[in-house]
Amino acid sequence: MSPFRWLASSYVLGLGVAVGITLALSAWLFEGAERDQRVQYERRLAQVEANSLAGALASAAPERIAGVLQAWQARHPAHESAILVGGMELLGSTKPEDAAPRRLGREEKPIFDLANLLRAARETNIGEGVVRKKLVNFDGSVKGAYVVTVPYLANNEFAGVLQVRIRQVADKRSAPSSLGGVPLWLPALLVAVALGALFRARSDLRLDLPRLLLFAAFLALTLAYQYQRMAAYDASDLDGARQVANAVREAVLSYGLPPEGAAAPSPWDTDTYLRPLGVVLGDGTLNESAHGALFAEKTRFFERSLWAAEVLGLVMLLAFLFGYMRRLGATLREHADAYAYVTPAMLGMLVLVFFPFLYGITLAFTDTTLFNESLPFAERWIGWDNFVTILGDFNLYERGPEGLIWNYQNFYWTLMVTIVWTLTNVAIGVSLGFILALILNTEDLKGKAIYRVILILPWAIPNYITALVWRGMFHPQFGVINQVLQMFGMAPVAWFDGVVSSFLTGLTTNGWLSFPFMMVVILGALQSIPKDMYEAAEVEGATRWQRLRHITLPLLRPTLIPAIVLSVVWTFNMFNIIFLVSGGEPAGANEILITKAYKIAFENYQYAYAAAYSTVIFVILLVYGVFQTRVTKATESF
Amino acid sequence: MAKKKANNHLLLHTALISFTLLSMYPVFWVLALAFSGQQSVGIIDLPMDPTLMERARAIVPIPEHFSVANFVGVWTEQSFGTWLWNSAVVSLMTTVLGVFLACTAAYAFSRFRFPGRNAGMLTFLVSQMFPGTLMLIPLFIIIVKWLGLGNTYFGLVIVYATTAIPFCVWMLKGYFDTIPVDIEESARIDGASPQTIFFRIILPLATPAIAITALFSFMTAWNEFILASIFMEAESNYTAPVGLRFFVGGFSSQWGYFAAGSVIVSLPVVLLFLYLQKYLISGLTAGSVK
Repeated sequence: MSPFRWLASSYVLGLGVAVGITLALSAWLFEGAERDQRVQYERRLAQVEANSLAGALASAAPERIAGVLQAWQARHPAHESAILVGGMELLGSTKPEDAAPRRLGREEKPIFDLANLLRAARETNIGEGVVRKKLVNFDGSVKGAYVVTVPYLANNEFAGVLQVRIRQVADKRSAPSSLGGVPLWLPALLVAVALGALFRARSDLRLDLPRLLLFAAFLALTLAYQYQRMAAYDASDLDGARQVANAVREAVLSYGLPPEGAAAPSPWDTDTYLRPLGVVLGDGTLNESAHGALFAEKTRFFERSLWAAEVLGLVMLLAFLFGYMRRLGATLREHADAYAYVTPAMLGMLVLVFFPFLYGITLAFTDTTLFNESLPFAERWIGWDNFVTILGDFNLYERGPEGLIWNYQNFYWTLMVTIVWTLTNVAIGVSLGFILALILNTEDLKGKAIYRVILILPWAIPNYITALVWRGMFHPQFGVINQVLQMFGMAPVAWFDGVVSSFLTGLTTNGWLSFPFMMVVILGALQSIPKDMYEAAEVEGATRWQRLRHITLPLLRPTLIPAIVLSVVWTFNMFNIIFLVSGGEPAGANEILITKAYKIAFENYQYAYAAAYSTVIFVILLVYGVFQTRVTKATESF
Repeated sequence: MAKKKANNHLLLHTALISFTLLSMYPVFWVLALAFSGQQSVGIIDLPMDPTLMERARAIVPIPEHFSVANFVGVWTEQSFGTWLWNSAVVSLMTTVLGVFLACTAAYAFSRFRFPGRNAGMLTFLVSQMFPGTLMLIPLFIIIVKWLGLGNTYFGLVIVYATTAIPFCVWMLKGYFDTIPVDIEESARIDGASPQTIFFRIILPLATPAIAITALFSFMTAWNEFILASIFMEAESNYTAPVGLRFFVGGFSSQWGYFAAGSVIVSLPVVLLFLYLQKYLISGLTAGSVK
C-alpha cells in the first residue's frame, strides 16, 4: 500500500494530457502571434522608410528628386528600389534603366491605377472629414520584399505616389509545432479523447485532495509557461519598437527633423491611414508608456485566446478526473454499430455544413470585405455592429411631396416583401394543389394518370430554367404575355418597372412550379383515406361540404402540416426565382432577404454584412420552426 | 343519378384540360423557340403595326420555320457538350455518394437507439434552415482555399452530396421505420451479419424511397448554379446550368441556344422524374405519415 496509490490511476495521465493540450495550443497561438508581430514590425519599418522619403521628396525641388532617391538607396542595403510617379509621368526612379523622368509605359498601368485609388481615398477622407479609406498600399503578392505605396504631396496637394521596395530580412522559419499546416494540438486532443476512453477513473463528483492537487499542478504548469512566453513576446515587441525608433532617428539624420518638431509624435511612424501612432517622437525617442498602451490594446484578443486554451485544458482535466471520458468510451463501444453507420454522413455534415455555418456566424461579427480579408481576425472584429446597423435602421419611408416614399434598401421593407411573398406563394400552392388533388381523386375519372403526369411536369423541370423561361415570356417588348394583353386591346405592361407588376412575375413563376408538389402530397394523403368513411357519412346524410370539412380536412392535417412547413421554408429562401426572373427590380424593391444577402456579398463585396443579414434570416426561420412545432403540438388533440 | 355523374365528369374534364394546356404553355413556348432556328425571344417577328390575327399568331407556340439549327449550333458553336458532360459526371457522383451517406445514416437513426440520436435528427432538420448565402463564403474558403478543390468535380460533389443529406435521411428514415423489424430479427437468427441484413434485406425493400433519394440527389447537383459558378472559374469547367445562364444572362440574349440547351438539360430529369413518379407519392408520404 503505497501512499501514492492514487497516482497509478488515470489522474496523472489526465494531467499530462490536459497540460499537453494547453501547452500545444498556447505554443501554436504564440507562434502565430510572433509571426504576426515580425511582419507587423517589418511593415512598420517599411512604412517609416516610405513616409520619411515621401516627406523629403515633398520638400525637394524637381531636379533634386533623383539625388534624394539615390541617397536613400545607398543608405541601407535593404533599400532595394523606389519610384516616384506623378500623373502619367515617372518622375524619378532608383533604377538607371528606367531613364526617369519619362511618360509611363503601357505595362506600368497598375501603378497609375493605384495612384488614382490613393488620390480618391485621400479626397474621400478630406471630403468626409473622417479617416475611412486607407492611404497606404502594401502589395501582398510580392514575395521576399515589402512593396509600400504612399501618397507624394507637393505643397500639401496630391501630386503622385511613391513606391518603395524593401527587402525582407526576417527568415521565414517554419513553425515547429505544426505538422504540415495542421496544428499539433488537434491530434493531441484526439489522442487524449481516445486514451480517456480506455482508462478508468472513479466516477464520483467528490473534490478530494489528489484532485485539488492536480488542478493546482495544471494551473501552475500552464500559467508559468504562458507567463514566460508572454514576457519574451513583450520583450521582442519592445525590441521591434526600438528598431522603429532607430529608423526614425536615421531618417532624421538624413532629412532633418520633420516639420512637426522633436516632441510631437513622429509623422513617419503611422498606421495605414497615415495617422501617427504616437509611440515614436519626432526626433526618434521611444515613448514607452504609449508603446505599452498600444501593446495592451493589440494583444487583448490574443490574451483571450490564451485563456480559452486554459479553459479547454481544464475541461479535459475535469473529464478525466471525474470519469466522463471513461463513460464516453463505454458509450461509444456499446453503440459501436450505430455510430459506425452515422459517422460518414455526420463527418460530411460537420465539415461542409455545420462548420461553414459557424464560420459564417463568426464572420457576421467582423467587418470583413473583399479588401481586408487577409487582415488578422482580431483586427476585423467589431462585435454586434452589423446587427445594430441592420435591425436598428428604421428609416423605412420618407414623407415627400407626393406622399410616402418607401426606402427599398431598408431591412424591414425586404422582410415585409419576403413575408408577403411566402404567404401568397404558399396559399396559391396549397389551394391549387388541393383543388387539383380533389379533382384527380374523383372515382372513375378517365385519364387520371395522364393528367397527373402532365401536371407534375412543372416540378420536374429544373427551376432555374423555369425562371429564365418566364423571364423571357414577361419580356416587356417581345414577351408573349404582353402580346396576349395587346391582343385584348390592353396596353403592354413594363413588367419589371413597377413594384406590384414585378412582384406578380415572381408570384406567377413560383406558383407555376410549386403547385405540383402540394398536389402530389395531398393526392397521396387523399388516397389513404378509407372509402367506407365517406360511405358511412353519406348514409348518415352528410352533405358534400360536411364530408370535406369533417372527414377530409382532419385526415389531411398530419400530411399537410409538414408539407406546408417545408414549403414555407423553401419559399422563404426561394433564391432562384427572384434572382433570375425579376432580379429584385425595380431598384431592389422586390428583393427578398436571401437575394438581398447575396447581392450584399457578391455585388458590394461586404462579406461580413451579408453574413449578418443571413444570420438574421436563419434566426427568423428558426423562430418560425419552433413556433410552428409548438402550435402543431398544441392543436394535435383536435 | 348516372347521367348527373357523367355531366360532372365532362365539366371536370373541360376544367382539367384547360388548366393542363395553360400549365403546359411555357413548355410549348421553349420547344417553339428551340426549334425556331433563330435567337429572338418572340416566336415570330411581328410587323410594326400588327393586326389581331398576327398577334394571335405570335402567341401560338409553333415556330415560323421548323429548324434544328439551334440544337446543332449549341453543340458545335458553343462548348455546351463539355458543360453537359461536367454536369453529368458531377451529378452521377453526387447521387452515388449522397445515397450511400443517406442510407447508412437513416438506417442507424431508424434501427438503433443511441445517445445523440435525437440531437442528430434535430440538427439535420435545423440545417435545412441555414440560408445558402451564409454558407457560400465559408464553403468557398474551405473548398477552394483550404482544400484546393476549386475547378474540380470532387469539390462540387462533396458539397452537393452533403447538402442533400438531411432531406434524404429524413425521408429514408421514415421509410425504414415502416419496414417491420421482425424481418431483420429472423435473418439474424438465421445467422446473417449486420452488413448482410443492411445490404441484402433492408436496401432492396427500400427501393422506392432510395429511388426518390437518388432522384433528389441527382436533381440537387443537376440544377444548382450558384456554387458551381463560384467554384468553377474556367469556362471549360462550367456545368450546364452555369452555361445556360451564360446564354441569356447579362447582356447576351441568345434565346434560341438557351431554349435548345434547356430542352437537352431538362429531358433526362423529366424522364427520370416521370419514370420514378410511381414511387414519388409513397416515398414522400412515408416520411411524414406515421
